[in-house]
Amino acid sequence: MSAVPIPYFLMLAAALFATGAVGFLLRRNLLVILMSIELMLNSVNLTLVAFNRMHGGDQNGQILAFFVIAIAAAEAAVGLAIVLAFFRLRGSVRSDEANTLRN
Amino acid sequence: MMSILRQQFPADDFALLALVLVLPLIGAFVNGVFGKRLGKEGVRLMALASVGGAFLLSLVVFAALAGEPVPAEGPGARLTWTAWEWFTVNGRSGSTVSLDVAFSVDALSATMALVVTGVGFLIHLYSTGYMDKDPGYHRFFSYMNLFIFSMMVLILGDNLAVLFVGWEGVGLCSYLLIGFWFEDETKASAGKKAFITNRIGDFGLLIAMAMLVYYAGTLSWSGLEAGAGGLQETRTVWPLGNLQASALPSFLAEWLTPDKPIQMQVATMVALALFLGCVGKSAQVPLFVWLPDAMAGPTPVSALIHAATMVTAGVYLVARTSFIFALSPAAMAIVAITGAVTALLAATIAFAQNDLKKVLAYSTVSQLGFMFMGVGVGAFAAGFFHVITHAFFKGCLFLCAGSVIHAMHVRVHDDDRSQDMRFMGGLRKYMPITHVTFLLSCLAIAGCPPLSGFWSKDEILYKAATSHVIAPNAQAWMPPAWWGQLIYAIGIVAAVGTAFYMFRAYFMTFWGDFRGWKIVKRWKDRGHGHHDHGAPAKAMKGPVPHESPWTMTLPLAVLSGLAVVAGLLYAEPIHIAPLEHFWEPVFRTASESIGTSEGAAAALWPLLMVGISAFVVGSGASYLVYVKKRGQPAASFVAAWPRLHRIVYDKWRIDELYQVTIIGMLDALGETAAQVDRLVIDGIIAKLTALVTALCGTLLRALQTGRVQVYAAGMVLGTAAIGWFMLSPHADAAVDDSELRKTGTLSLTATPGHGYRYRWHLEGEDPPKDFTTEADYRVSLQRCETKRVHLAVQNALGSVDEQSYTHCRETREGCCLPLGQTPKVKLPDKLPKLPQIPSIPRGKHDAGIIKQLLNPDGHKPPGRPGQPAPGGAR
Repeated sequence: MSAVPIPYFLMLAAALFATGAVGFLLRRNLLVILMSIELMLNSVNLTLVAFNRMHGGDQNGQILAFFVIAIAAAEAAVGLAIVLAFFRLRGSVRSDEANTLRN
Repeated sequence: MMSILRQQFPADDFALLALVLVLPLIGAFVNGVFGKRLGKEGVRLMALASVGGAFLLSLVVFAALAGEPVPAEGPGARLTWTAWEWFTVNGRSGSTVSLDVAFSVDALSATMALVVTGVGFLIHLYSTGYMDKDPGYHRFFSYMNLFIFSMMVLILGDNLAVLFVGWEGVGLCSYLLIGFWFEDETKASAGKKAFITNRIGDFGLLIAMAMLVYYAGTLSWSGLEAGAGGLQETRTVWPLGNLQASALPSFLAEWLTPDKPIQMQVATMVALALFLGCVGKSAQVPLFVWLPDAMAGPTPVSALIHAATMVTAGVYLVARTSFIFALSPAAMAIVAITGAVTALLAATIAFAQNDLKKVLAYSTVSQLGFMFMGVGVGAFAAGFFHVITHAFFKGCLFLCAGSVIHAMHVRVHDDDRSQDMRFMGGLRKYMPITHVTFLLSCLAIAGCPPLSGFWSKDEILYKAATSHVIAPNAQAWMPPAWWGQLIYAIGIVAAVGTAFYMFRAYFMTFWGDFRGWKIVKRWKDRGHGHHDHGAPAKAMKGPVPHESPWTMTLPLAVLSGLAVVAGLLYAEPIHIAPLEHFWEPVFRTASESIGTSEGAAAALWPLLMVGISAFVVGSGASYLVYVKKRGQPAASFVAAWPRLHRIVYDKWRIDELYQVTIIGMLDALGETAAQVDRLVIDGIIAKLTALVTALCGTLLRALQTGRVQVYAAGMVLGTAAIGWFMLSPHADAAVDDSELRKTGTLSLTATPGHGYRYRWHLEGEDPPKDFTTEADYRVSLQRCETKRVHLAVQNALGSVDEQSYTHCRETREGCCLPLGQTPKVKLPDKLPKLPQIPSIPRGKHDAGIIKQLLNPDGHKPPGRPGQPAPGGAR
């Protein structure tokens, strides 16, 4: 049984990252934006794990992926709290309504 | 007792001076810092004890000095104490001049110290009564003690630098005390005026110090006296240095550069610079304007600082450096004429003043003029003796004025009006002690024989008429022969004026009827009743002027007593002159340069008679005008020439002259600077900056949408750009051409990168097929040759970047050939050795042989193009 070649992982990660980035840029729903960020983070995780396998030896890539997961969890908690606070303030979760600083 | 003193304090380490100095300083410190907590009693005790102690110690110092043996040659006895080494400066031609904090006392400074501490103590005592009601009691005595300290530093300093410290110190105290009631704007600005005017003079003193350090190499009195002869050299003062006026238009340059450079004796320059300091401090023309305004301070301050002690510091300095002044007849002439003009000018102003203190202030200026007249004609001892007698009688007069003002405050609580003589009169009934002491001092200053002022003033006038400065060398400028007579004539007129204005003040204050009654009732009535002795005012109910307490009358009595008898210290015509003998060694060097005219001894009594008649004329005229005719002639004079009176009353408008010239110029300069600031800095530069900032803001604001996703888009774009940059190859190379000129080697090193491979080739060659990992490349060039190197870089993804580098091996002249051309001639890397010049055999030769010897083969010298030199090709 032959292993999946590394470029496949990388192409999948690039596709995931592009999806996340486009979602982050184009969607106006804060919850979707948060999910897009998670998608990008996970694509990075996938890259890290893939390169870890390519280089063998140590497990630095794996460890770094765990760090990213932990950060992502914290980010999701803070992000959701902000979304909640924003919803209470404006009664909406649309990102283009967060324009107090501008006006 | 005396022997113990001598044992304890040897002449070259006379530490007793430290005690004299430190006592007033302690007084100033304690009163200044703890004065509020000490209470009035404590402050009074501290102030009086410190100054009184300094006076007693000065007496001891005086006695010790008098007991010192006086050498027959050179300067007299001197007791010195060096506190510490202060600093060193570089002198002429690399020498070092060390300046010490050193103090010394000789006959001159011992006498001056006695006067300062003695009169100072009496005035301190007086002030305890005068300032009794003032809330700033402790502050006042702190300043006063500080003043005594500074004055003692000035007197006892052993060199000009220490004297300068005291000089500035008394200036500071004067400023603080003139503006003592600083809540009043005019009084605060009077202090400022005094300080600034003094600073103009101090500038001269600084210059004199610098010149003395350079030319004499020392600042100490004994060193200067010994080396004063070295100041006789002349220096070119114009044109300055090696200044070239070529940049200016020719007529201006011609006008600025005289045919013969203007030369000046160093002694003259030093003396004039010193005298500028004295003019400022001693209120001479043209810097006298500050002293009348200084009367804004409390009256004891006027008595102590602006009459008895500080203002005489200038005379002291001239007497101290008499050996320098005596070297320069020109400087002496200027000192004498300045004094004479001041004496006369100030006397005329005093005629028109109504403020009692102003009259005394102008009188002080006038008397200081007499002192400078004295030292200017070479009568250093007489001029300085006038300092002492003046300290007694003018101190007494000011204190009497203070006593009168104190009494007038019963009727009026306005500073200006309580000093106005038009509201006084008849005060002899109410204040007998003040009246008698004022009269005695008035007689003394007016020159009534045999009171002190008579002896000192007539000695000055006598010397002015009979002595002259001997030229130190042939080139020195000499005043004309009638110069002494001119000074004498001005002096006599000023003496008549002195008697007149002093008795005018006396009669207006103490004779006639008291005119102060109407102040309270109709005090706004100022009118122009200048000398209005009309109907006697009715005595009104209310407080009556009264005599002052004993603390104020005791100093008056002592000072007037001294004013009466002090003349016997230096009564030259009747041969009772102990001070002359005492001071003689101090002025020994200087008096060698002073000559006496023929028949001086015979002229003594006739000139004395002239002096006495000046007193009689002046005081008699005053009696006639202000008592017999009750001021009628003066009033009609004013009515006849109102404008002349106005000008004299406004002190000849000297202040206004300064206002329109110097101050006006400064104002114009400031206005110009302000305009430049407004138009150029604010108008152009600031606006331009603001415009650029606003423009940038407008542009950048467009990016600041407030939408998170727009920012995120920027981030993504930026990341993409960085990624693209990282992934594309960059064919950069570091070029090392440090060896290029010398050996013709050019080294190139390509910048490394991930997975980079390189391909090098020269212009004109075919590029190699494959990329290699070789990052370095060397190429060698001939002189003047140009080559182009191509570099291609391929990265791991296979994309390629190319760049080329063109370099030329240049020589000094710059001979770069276009690319692809090689130099036609190969030049040698090294020039060949020059052929040896053959030596010419001795003996006679035909002219042609030299040519042949120099070039035996007849060919051109080597090293030129077209002639290959041997062994040069590479």
